[in-house]
Amino acid sequence: MLLAFALSPLLVVAIGALLLMLAEAFSKVRTGLALGTVVVFFAGLALSASVWLYGLESIPGLEVLAPWLIIDRFSMFMNAVLCLGGGLAALLAGGYLPEHKIERGEFYSLLLFATLGAMMLSASGDFLTLFIGLETMSIGAYAMTAFRRTSARSAEGALKYFLLGSFAAAIMLYGFALLYGATGHTDLAGVGAGVKSGEHAPMVLIAMVLVLAGLVFKVSAVPFHMWTPDAYEGAPTPATTFMAVAVKSGAFAMLLRVMLTCFGDARSMSWSSGWPPVLAWIAVLTMTVANLIAGRQESVKRMLAYSSIAHAGYLLVGVVATMKNPAQGSASVLFYLLTYTVSTAGAFGALILCGRFGAEAVSYEDLAGIGRRHPAAALPFSLFLISLAGFPPTAGFFGKWFVFRAAMEGGFTWLTIIAFLNSVLGAYYYLRVLVFMYMREPAAGAPIATPMRSGYVNFALILSAFLVVVLGVSPSLSLDVAVKAAAAFGGGAG
Amino acid sequence: MITTNSYVLLSAILFTIGGIGFLVRRNVIVTLMSIEVMLNAVNLALVAFNRSMPKAHTGQLFAFFLIAAEAAEVAVGLAIVISIFRLRRSVRTDEADLLKN
Repeated sequence: MLLAFALSPLLVVAIGALLLMLAEAFSKVRTGLALGTVVVFFAGLALSASVWLYGLESIPGLEVLAPWLIIDRFSMFMNAVLCLGGGLAALLAGGYLPEHKIERGEFYSLLLFATLGAMMLSASGDFLTLFIGLETMSIGAYAMTAFRRTSARSAEGALKYFLLGSFAAAIMLYGFALLYGATGHTDLAGVGAGVKSGEHAPMVLIAMVLVLAGLVFKVSAVPFHMWTPDAYEGAPTPATTFMAVAVKSGAFAMLLRVMLTCFGDARSMSWSSGWPPVLAWIAVLTMTVANLIAGRQESVKRMLAYSSIAHAGYLLVGVVATMKNPAQGSASVLFYLLTYTVSTAGAFGALILCGRFGAEAVSYEDLAGIGRRHPAAALPFSLFLISLAGFPPTAGFFGKWFVFRAAMEGGFTWLTIIAFLNSVLGAYYYLRVLVFMYMREPAAGAPIATPMRSGYVNFALILSAFLVVVLGVSPSLSLDVAVKAAAAFGGGAG
Repeated sequence: MITTNSYVLLSAILFTIGGIGFLVRRNVIVTLMSIEVMLNAVNLALVAFNRSMPKAHTGQLFAFFLIAAEAAEVAVGLAIVISIFRLRRSVRTDEADLLKN
């Protein structure tokens, strides 16, 4: 019974997805699906919190699930972040899909199943469950990207995402197969022990490169980022939110678990012969390239896509910091994921709010003058952009602060300086939105944007604005939670 | 004499062929087939490695799961290809160029 309680966040999302799918298929009523989805997500969030408070130490029999599912504080934290991200995306979908006349019930089941995949991904301790979770998440995301059937842009974004996503999955799977051949295990801990023993070193090295390439693709870091802007721009905005928030969080959870468990031995984690320098250079490239290209965009949605690539770069800095101190580095990544989730979901939500049917707000020009005409829509947008840029007193500031501090204390001063310079560079294009909203007027003859009205979107914005401010004013509680969650990796090589 | 190594070598060759096919060909259907070749190379490697570790059937089991998941993935992929063909009357990846900066 207690075991079911420990699994309840996963179970409630899985059962909720099945029930909503049946309800959509057999009932004539179309309203309430969005509400049901939101309720399921927030039930998952509440259950993760209660399992956390109950204490996983006092639940016997969790080792029965290992290595398939590892239910620890790390996966419980990720469950909460993913349910929050999924819940915000569901709220946005509840407003966006009816407004743009594309509401069909499948979207909500896809959203729930994809989140379930991401939750499974962050809890899996075996390549098999990891792969199933990854596919569940990705297939749902592909389908959601292609959701607007009449739009060639939506289909094209989905096609690029699907082709490159399957290619990356195949590369990663070949890495898994080689690791299985080299160590005889498919569970992460067993592979880690085999890698540590140093047998079959050349094969392990090739496998590490393949797995790393697949993982870096999934977190959409440069040079494997080409699909991201296209998929994000083509997808309906709630699906974009989901990809930017939940898919990225799930991928980072997978990255941390695989790298620290399979390749957590002293040799693989050293600067001279391991993965940290590779990830450090990828982080530098990701931040710089994404920030430079983001500044040249004319579409705000595409700018936010490049911004999410840049944030993957900052997160990779935190992953590199695990080299010296696994617990501190992963804690900073987890906390950053939380702040990034609320800021990004809020920014996409505000973008949704600024448009309506037939006149979706996409470009900077669409937003011109909206700050004076509709301050209630522009104000939360400004807050989320300031948080993404990393100014105090918002969540984004502390997210960056803890990642940079982990990198500094790990001895990566040069990397921290590059990351800091990049976040200054990033402020340019976030503030450019504010300039357009408050200091420009729409060009003569251009259509004047009016915000849509939706209780769902308003609620999503209020919720994420509340969290952005709370995390920005008193981050200590949630940071404490992130530190406890990351303690699972405290026993790394160091 | 066919050893485990021969199978692994064959799977590496298949994987490379699939990878090159994916990068070079411009027809979506051929690209999908290239991905299938890569995934089947993974299956072959898993089953071949399992031959030298006969105590458990982990590799073979993994291959079964992979086949099932591949089928689901291709179903979604072909649906996307059909929807893009309806809208654009083309299945060539180099003609999918609506989204650019």
